[in-house]
Amino acid sequence: MTFYQQEINRIRENCYSNETHLMAVIRTRRFINAHFEKELNLQQLAQAGLTSKFHLLRLFKRYYGQTPKQYLTHKRIAQSIICLKKGMTVTDTCFSVGFECPSSFSTLFKQKTGLPPAAFQKKQFLQSTPDGV
Amino acid sequence: MRVKVISIPVQDQQTALDFYTGKLGFVKKHDVPLTGNDRWLTVVSKEEPDGAEILLEPSPNHLEAAGTYQKALYNAGIPYTQFDVDDVDETYRQLTALGVAFSVTPTEMGTVKIAVLDDTCGNHIQLVEML
Repeated sequence: MTFYQQEINRIRENCYSNETHLMAVIRTRRFINAHFEKELNLQQLAQAGLTSKFHLLRLFKRYYGQTPKQYLTHKRIAQSIICLKKGMTVTDTCFSVGFECPSSFSTLFKQKTGLPPAAFQKKQFLQSTPDGV
Repeated sequence: MRVKVISIPVQDQQTALDFYTGKLGFVKKHDVPLTGNDRWLTVVSKEEPDGAEILLEPSPNHLEAAGTYQKALYNAGIPYTQFDVDDVDETYRQLTALGVAFSVTPTEMGTVKIAVLDDTCGNHIQLVEML
């Protein structure tokens, strides 16, 4: 067994020995991945993870390093990038990934990517056309 | 400041190019001749052609310390870097069918599933799936 394999076993035993906790956060993340475009609240996520709201908050942050809401935002922004690259309008993108307000979507998008959605889409378009090089 | 290029030390650039494109499915992005047989040789993910480039860098052949470091990591089984995949089990099946050797078969570790392959150029590379 290599040093790395020993380390994998050691870290697994020390950090990931609680199967119940792991299943709760993994179920929750999968639920977010499957339903990110819908309106989601902590109560629904807790039900999906089969745990209480505040317990889920603590566990999710501990195992994924971010809260469920932060992960949901990350997921929606990642999906919006795909939609914008495909040529979907900013407003349609906003609603299709689960945001309720185009202005808050634009603000979040800029925070995460450095550009507002429209500018991001324009940059992608210019990069993908020979004349844009 | 942006991440544009990350380098992986390789003992033979052509062997590395064959492996990273032929087995792992990356695409050649830049191939610029330098001195001797050395090239500025980069590959990118098919899924993210405008994403970060991997520089297949022949540093172990030019700097003894680079070779020593690479060998020490390899002997300890430590991955030089890691790539994200959607499904570790499926990727493992596809790559083993292509003859790729793994030092760690698909293994759950908390909120991730990992596997570690041998890139035939002196490195272990970890594949990661978020669970």
